[in-house]
Amino acid sequence: MLVLTRKPQEEIKIGKDIVVKVISISENSVKIGIEAPKEMVIMRAELYQKVKENNVEATKNVSLNLPENLKDLKVNKLNKRKNERKEKD
Amino acid sequence: MKIKNQLFGEIEFSEEKIIKFPEGIIGFEEFKKFLLVNSGNPLFLWLVSIDEPELIFPLFGIKALFDDYPTFEDFEPFGIVKLDPDPIKMTINVKAPILINQDRNEGFQKILDDDRYPIDYKLFIEK
Repeated sequence: MLVLTRKPQEEIKIGKDIVVKVISISENSVKIGIEAPKEMVIMRAELYQKVKENNVEATKNVSLNLPENLKDLKVNKLNKRKNERKEKD
Repeated sequence: MKIKNQLFGEIEFSEEKIIKFPEGIIGFEEFKKFLLVNSGNPLFLWLVSIDEPELIFPLFGIKALFDDYPTFEDFEPFGIVKLDPDPIKMTINVKAPILINQDRNEGFQKILDDDRYPIDYKLFIEK
């Protein structure tokens, strides 16, 4: 792995389209800004892993059968007003 | 054209029904062609891989869940559902929607940078 030392506001260029900038640093975190073409997927690595695991899980035990007790339930629709109320709580 | 799997048996389709996922689906990047099947049961749609027909993602339209869900131009957001024999345990991924344009037959999975939309949103609640 290439390791470079950078100070806040300094940048690293990757290829001709990507710039990674150190915005600020604090005791245990670094704020990083990334400029890249919009078709490039950029995300926190642990989030990618979580989505991947969820996708894999969802493909297991796929069945067309609907559970019997579905009639006692309703779709968990979250309307805007409820959402705002939730944020206040 | 035809594919076959355990869930649906034989599925016959024409070429213009193929939905291309140029980037694949996260964790399944090697599969680029899918069919959106809307039979089987009235609640879900099924995204079936053409190259690996046993690979099936249950989908549910996210617009029915959130009034203020982001819009993505001509793409409609669907959430991948984790099915469960107990429906109260079923969750839908609204953090990383599957976006599909059925006119252009294109799709991709996008991860939203918004904490209001969880990866495991409860799909059903008690009446």
